Amino acid sequence: MTAAILAAVKQVNLTAQTRIVAAILAVAFMVMILELIRRDKLQERYSVVWFVAGLGMLLGAAFPGLLTLVAEAMGVRNTNVALFSIVLLLLLGLALNFSVIMSRQAAQITRLAQEQALEKARAQAAEERETGRARS
Amino acid sequence: MRTLVFIPAWNEEGSVPAVIAGVGEALPEADVLVIDDGSTDATASRAREAGALVASLPFNQGLGAALQTGYLYALQEGYECCAHLDADGQHPPAEVARLLQEIYADRADLVIGSRYRDPDRAKTDDYKPTFSRRIGTGVFRFFLTLATRQRFTDTTSGMRAANRRVMALFSERYSPDFAEIESLQLAVREGLRVEEVPVRMLERIGGTSFLTPLRSAFFIFKGLVVLLVGQFRPRRVEAER
Repeated sequence: MTAAILAAVKQVNLTAQTRIVAAILAVAFMVMILELIRRDKLQERYSVVWFVAGLGMLLGAAFPGLLTLVAEAMGVRNTNVALFSIVLLLLLGLALNFSVIMSRQAAQITRLAQEQALEKARAQAAEERETGRARS
Repeated sequence: MRTLVFIPAWNEEGSVPAVIAGVGEALPEADVLVIDDGSTDATASRAREAGALVASLPFNQGLGAALQTGYLYALQEGYECCAHLDADGQHPPAEVARLLQEIYADRADLVIGSRYRDPDRAKTDDYKPTFSRRIGTGVFRFFLTLATRQRFTDTTSGMRAANRRVMALFSERYSPDFAEIESLQLAVREGLRVEEVPVRMLERIGGTSFLTPLRSAFFIFKGLVVLLVGQFRPRRVEAER
C-alpha cells in the first residue's frame, strides 16, 4: 500500500512553481470569501461550500499525490481528466443547489407578495365598512 | 352561505368593470375580489370604482399565484364557498352562479365550468377555440384523464367554484405557473370530489390570448412534465377528514 502511494506521488509531474501558484490562488480565494462575509455581501450559510472548495485547492497544491490517488480510485489513468471531472461534478452540484435555493426563495417572495396584497384588500374592506356606516 | 367571487386580472382595464358588474347582477350576495396581478394599466382603480375589493400584487406573479391569492383570502376571511372567473369577459357570470349551486348543494368540492362537456352545445357555441388551443386541449384532456382516471374535458378552464376543503388545499399548494391542470390532478389525488359542469363561454371582450404556436408547444411540454412529476408527489395528509 505505502509503495503504491509512493509510486503515485512520484508519478505526479507538478513543478514547484505551479504548486506555489496554486497555493497562493487558494489562499487568495479564501481571503476573498472572508472579505465578502465581512462586508455582508455573502451570508455565512452560503460560504461554507466555498471554504471547502478553497481548502480543496490548498490541499491539492500541498499534496499533489492526493490527486493521483483519487484518480487511481476512480480508475482514471490521466490525473488531469480526473481533476476536471471532479471539478465539473462539484460545479454541477453547486448549480443545482442554487436552483433549489432560488425556488425556495421564489416561493417565499410569492407568499410575501400575496400576504401584502391581501392586507391592502382587507384595509379597503375595513375602510368601505367605515364609510358605509358613516353614510347610513 | 358567505361566498367570495374572485377575478384574477392582469392589464384588463377594458373588460374588468363589466365583469364585476355582471357578477354583481348574477350573484348579488357575493363579495367580489379582484386580484390585480401587477398590472401596469388602470385595472386596480377601475375595479375599485366598479365596487370590487382589490388585492394588488406588487409585481406580476403569474395566474397561479394570483388564483392562490384568492383562495388564501377566502380561507382566511372565513368564506364558505368561493368561485373565480377570468377578467377578459369570456365567462358569463350567470354560469358561475350555476357552478356555485353545485357547491351549495354539496355535490362536489370543486366544480369546473367546461365549454366542451356538452357535445350538442359545442356546435352552436359562441366560443370558437383556435387551432393551437384545440391541440393543447386534446393533449391535456388525454393525459389528465390518464393521470386521474376521471374524465375531464376542459382542463384549462379558469371558471371554477370550490368549498373550504379546496381552499385549504390550494392556498397551501398551488403551482405558480402551471395552475389549471396541476390543480385538478392535485385535487383528485387528495380525494376531493371534482366535477365538471357544461357552461357557455364567449369571445373575450378585451386583451389578446397569450398563446402563439411556439408558446403553445412549450406550454404543452411543460404541462406534461408537471403532470408526470405530479403523479409522484407525496400526498398531503388532510387533517380535516
